[in-house]
Amino acid sequence: MALVDKVKLPKPLSWLLNFGRARSLWVYQWGLACCAIEMGAAFGSPRYDVMRLGVIPFPASPRQADLVVISGTVTDKMAPVIRRLYEQMPEPKYVISMGSCANCGGPYWDSYSVTKGVDQVIPVDVYVPGCPPRPEALLEGIVLLQERIQREDMQERWRGEPIVVPPSTSSSTRVPAAPNASSTAPTSAGAPAVPAGSAQP
Amino acid sequence: MADDTGDDQADGAAAPGDEARDALAAELSELLGDAVVESHVEAGQNLWLRIDIEHWHAAMSALHDAGFAYFGFLSAVDWTDAPEGRYEDTEFDAAGVGEEDDEASSATAEETVRRGGGETRFQLLAQLHSPARHVAVLIKADVPEAASSDGSSAPASVPSIIDVFAGADWHEREAHEMFGLVFDGHPNLAHIYLPTEFEGHPLRKDFPLLARAVKPWPGVVDIEEIPPELEAQLEAEVMAEFEASGAGT
Amino acid sequence: MSPPPTASALREQQAYVAAQAADARVNVELDTGDMTLNIGPQHPATHGTLRIACQLDGEQVISAEPLMGYMHRGYEKLCEVRTYPQCTTLINRIDWLGSFANEVPFILAAEQLMGVEAPPRAQWIRTILFELSRIANVSLFLGDMGVQVGALTPVFFAFRDRERVLNQIEEVTGGRFHPNFDRIGGLKDDIPRGWIAETHAVMAKMRGFCDEMEDLLMGNEIFQTRCRSVGVIPGDVALSYGLSGANLRASGVDWDLRRDANPGLAWDQVDWRVWTHPDGDSFARYWVRLQETREATKIVDQLLDGIPSGPIMAKVPRIIKVPAGEAYVSTENPLGEMGYYVVSKGGLGPFRVKIRTPSFSNISVVPWVMRGTYVPDIITILGSLYFILGDIDR
Ligand code: SF4
Repeated sequence: MALVDKVKLPKPLSWLLNFGRARSLWVYQWGLACCAIEMGAAFGSPRYDVMRLGVIPFPASPRQADLVVISGTVTDKMAPVIRRLYEQMPEPKYVISMGSCANCGGPYWDSYSVTKGVDQVIPVDVYVPGCPPRPEALLEGIVLLQERIQREDMQERWRGEPIVVPPSTSSSTRVPAAPNASSTAPTSAGAPAVPAGSAQP
Repeated sequence: MADDTGDDQADGAAAPGDEARDALAAELSELLGDAVVESHVEAGQNLWLRIDIEHWHAAMSALHDAGFAYFGFLSAVDWTDAPEGRYEDTEFDAAGVGEEDDEASSATAEETVRRGGGETRFQLLAQLHSPARHVAVLIKADVPEAASSDGSSAPASVPSIIDVFAGADWHEREAHEMFGLVFDGHPNLAHIYLPTEFEGHPLRKDFPLLARAVKPWPGVVDIEEIPPELEAQLEAEVMAEFEASGAGT
Repeated sequence: MSPPPTASALREQQAYVAAQAADARVNVELDTGDMTLNIGPQHPATHGTLRIACQLDGEQVISAEPLMGYMHRGYEKLCEVRTYPQCTTLINRIDWLGSFANEVPFILAAEQLMGVEAPPRAQWIRTILFELSRIANVSLFLGDMGVQVGALTPVFFAFRDRERVLNQIEEVTGGRFHPNFDRIGGLKDDIPRGWIAETHAVMAKMRGFCDEMEDLLMGNEIFQTRCRSVGVIPGDVALSYGLSGANLRASGVDWDLRRDANPGLAWDQVDWRVWTHPDGDSFARYWVRLQETREATKIVDQLLDGIPSGPIMAKVPRIIKVPAGEAYVSTENPLGEMGYYVVSKGGLGPFRVKIRTPSFSNISVVPWVMRGTYVPDIITILGSLYFILGDIDR
């Protein structure tokens, strides 16, 4: 892949490569607190079946992972460990922050030992709100991330420059939060929580 | 009103437990001798024993031998009032306090609050349970303050009980970390929860919560007001939808 | 006080100890020396972020010291700056698999101080939800224990069937876990229509799940060899470390707070029994939990048929102010004794809350029980002790 960061790839080719990257995300599960159980339900239970999205939740180590889902409360004692783990992941890497705790401290916003948001430690691509987010919401977050990867400019990604992803052109019904996500901060694409009505199988 | 129901409960359902606990209190006072400073029975709820700190270790092992073999927990209470209180700065808080404070016994609160009594700032608190008799006892001991070298006062050290209850090990470490109590004879009073470089004892009342101090509780902040013209429009939409759905069903 | 282990278990324990001694001799001959093995804080085999520092000699553990605090959120301090209703929201999240059960002892302690009692209907529904959260909690353990010994199938069954229970909880409370449904003086809402029949059906399914686990795992020879005589905790050691719940009952101590110190829920209204096992090993702990899950489904079934009518909320003031005093209430939660020592000075919020969590004490036995075991046993012992990180660290 050394070519990728040197030349501008033709559009069909980069589309193809992005398509492949988006649909074979090896995800490292970083379960920290209650949200980890919902993540486990999303990744482990037959009802939600994450593998149909092309997400493979079984890497043996962060060195094989493309995506890490930080789900749960990040404490000040844990933060350096998260940083270390993130550094071990190979580029390009993506982070989903799952749950209010990982987003901003959540119910422990005033605690003396909780980090107020994992984005103080590592950059985050998608925030999934909720306490805990339903498994469907996490799946939605993954789909949003895949859309993002699909639109990415690989050259920039590989060079490590800040990425501005062009907004989605497809008229997706699901994206109330996506427009502002792509315009400003490269690291924020808020994923809307899925309405509770969609919970029934 | 709350008081009335409380009396009902005490008279009615809880009376039998009361007698058993009274008997137990008498029995334990006899067993422990002058180690017991005070005992308190709350009908149908719990039994408190306050023990002289000098006899802490002896009393615990006597209780262990008397069948109270299950070690529930060990902790402490800091009885000073926090300087910031609950960071009560909301209207709701103010209203709540004003409303009923007159009738509530806030004057007598200080006397009645300590079940089993106590005078010092720090109070040790432990619970033991007898699996054979199916009854628990709460044990307290006042920790006196001892002047330390730099002039400030710190709680005096307390004998460790890990040779009686092996499970007390972690509980004592926690109490050390959270309150700064020192347990004599504990082999490893290291931090258990917090990072090693953490300073302060979080559960002491004078330990401030910085996030609270710099920011009001986010729940108090009301959502931004909707501009009036938008509000009218939204309301019209909602009403239209409501009527439509009402017609549909 | 606890009965002696069964004869076969005793034989196996002796064989295990003999093997340990033989291996220790080999270790000395080969001079395997000390090695430090650090497991965690993020490791697939530990639940959550427990870190264990082991000193190894060859394949044997010389000492194992759990290092925790990676999930310490400071509940006790945070409760001091919150009002009572706000506390319940927080307390839900201690043992996140059985959230409803966390709320109950705290609410009961506050009710004790206020002198209020929930109406009977609320108490029954409380008990039902309490047992449902026990089933949801422990069923995950029943599947997950398979993963610890390398059997991947059971955990999928567990997740499948647990969803059914979560659905029932969600239908009443609106939350899959973290219901925040209990109120001082009663419950937030009544149960919805048709819920009783559905729950009966789910309970029948859960009994089927228990049977399945019995066939799949407990009858499995590999599982038995991995778990029998491994991690034996005698009754008196368990007591002095403050082990509670199924861990204590698996060591032969017949003690269940639901039966022995019922703080005012409906357990005494139904017919059920407390299961104990004399062996005290990992297998016994699994066995006791399995029986308890089955027993819980029966409790729920009986309670469902007898819910009394009436209000679900006692008369309490709109703004909850708890009179000064101290109260300690503990209940038999899915993991063991969970208790709240609430000190009130008469304000809107508690003055001090000491939270006695079961896992903290349950896991404190690890250094004792790990000594001399083998590296693969670390995982089965930890798995069978069954802890939840939030419950250890608070
Ligand atoms: S966001 Fe809520 S559910 Fe998730 S870890 Fe935090 S407290 Fe638990």
